[in-house]
Amino acid sequence: MANDLLQLRDVGKSFGATLALEPTSLGIEDGSFVAIVGPSGCGKSTLFNVIAGLLQPDAGEVRLEGQVVTGTAGHVGYMLQKDLLLPWRTVEDNITMAARLTRRVTSGDRAEARRVARQYGLGEFLAHYPHALSGGMRQRVAFMRTLVTRHPLLLLDEPFGALDAQTRLEMQQWLLQVWKDAKRTVLFITHDVDESIFLSDRVLVMSPRPGRIIADLANPLARPRGLDALTDPQFVALKRQILHLLHGGGA
Amino acid sequence: MSRTVLRNVAIPLLSIALLLLLWQGLVVVFDVKPYVAPRPLAAIQAVTDNWGLLWPLILGTIRETIYGFFYGLLLGLGFAVVMAKVPFLHRLIYPVLVLSQGVPIIALGAPLVLILGFGVTPKIVIVAWIVFFPVTVNVLAGLSHVDQDLLNLARVYGASRWRTFLQIEIPASSTSIFAGLKIGATYAVTGAIIGELATTSSSGESLALYQEHANSNFSTAAVYGVTMVMTVIGISWFMLVVGSEVLATPWQRRTTARRAWWRRDHDVTESTSVH
Repeated sequence: MANDLLQLRDVGKSFGATLALEPTSLGIEDGSFVAIVGPSGCGKSTLFNVIAGLLQPDAGEVRLEGQVVTGTAGHVGYMLQKDLLLPWRTVEDNITMAARLTRRVTSGDRAEARRVARQYGLGEFLAHYPHALSGGMRQRVAFMRTLVTRHPLLLLDEPFGALDAQTRLEMQQWLLQVWKDAKRTVLFITHDVDESIFLSDRVLVMSPRPGRIIADLANPLARPRGLDALTDPQFVALKRQILHLLHGGGA
Repeated sequence: MSRTVLRNVAIPLLSIALLLLLWQGLVVVFDVKPYVAPRPLAAIQAVTDNWGLLWPLILGTIRETIYGFFYGLLLGLGFAVVMAKVPFLHRLIYPVLVLSQGVPIIALGAPLVLILGFGVTPKIVIVAWIVFFPVTVNVLAGLSHVDQDLLNLARVYGASRWRTFLQIEIPASSTSIFAGLKIGATYAVTGAIIGELATTSSSGESLALYQEHANSNFSTAAVYGVTMVMTVIGISWFMLVVGSEVLATPWQRRTTARRAWWRRDHDVTESTSVH
């Protein structure tokens, strides 16, 4: 547990009479890629919003790098299915958006934005406005914006949920490459079981009414993972296990 | 490029020319007497012949329009921001705003003259009175409909309310803001003319009064000519607002940003813009 970047202790949240998230305790190891999979209404996003500091939990404590950060924002990178790019900013200026929202943007910030953009296939789009980019490209920009915040923990809430299957697979491989280089800790929400296995070191399975974590599964798949990993027996076994947890024995 | 010029400049000019031609044609075909309706060229001549007399009056109308527009703009922005941020003030102010637009503008003339005299001030007040309302309503709508997820993202990043307002809420409302300004711009000149009619002393000078005198002297050509001048002022002001929108919102019609001259850290060798 000493190696955990993020620790939740008995964190719960209700909205009125609805228990959105049962008191939950959880440790996320530094540098790991943890996927959270579950149907809608299982409290995934509530969990994220508590960790991000957007929601004050009813009880419990959130610790990041040992510091209590419960209910306070500004500690994590955060990305949603909606890319939330600013239409009036270029790709470069969107990447430096977090800096612009908290302080003066330095030439160092812009140099860093251009560097990561070039390294990960956005170099020729730096001066473009977002409307000129495809959905996959826009999500890359949104991820770069999350990455340059330098926060050790990145919360990704179904970032590829709106993309077509082909683009999504490309983006998953791209994300694994960036994650390997950037050495960050990623919490990744998805309702796509394949995606949760392909990307992660560990899969948390959640269930609704009330929202809670029902299983915490280690992912045995070796890295680096190519497309063959998707049909690996270990992949299929883990997928079967998760599907049973989500849909019961009949699945 | 030449296609764009053709579409945006030449065709509008052609439609105005056709309108004048239609006017000329109708007057000639139906043999309309000059004191009922002049020919377009006669109307224009009535303006050019009296240019020395008219020019100061035109400047006066332009000044009332511009001052009134900007006071109305500031007032409208102020109301909108306060109402968007404080729900209680929204409920408190909104009925008064609606009431203010229910007052027949022309009826404001007499009390404004009593308070502010016959000078330029009551005319500016009338323009601002007309302009602030569409600005308030549109900016308020824009500020109230900023994507909540975007505002949450700003919070996650630890942005202050002030920076969120400047960096996100204002630009996200730009379309609504300019919609309000464009409506305000079309009303502004009308407001100035109403103001001149309602708050100029009988011995005073203004473009609206000049037109009234021309009318009572049966100088129909001058009446039409001055109307054309007023129209040109109104259209010009509207076009200036549209032009400022084009300059202020390049992302609406461009794929890439122009390289910003103040970004000195952009080294020239790294060509990033794709055209």
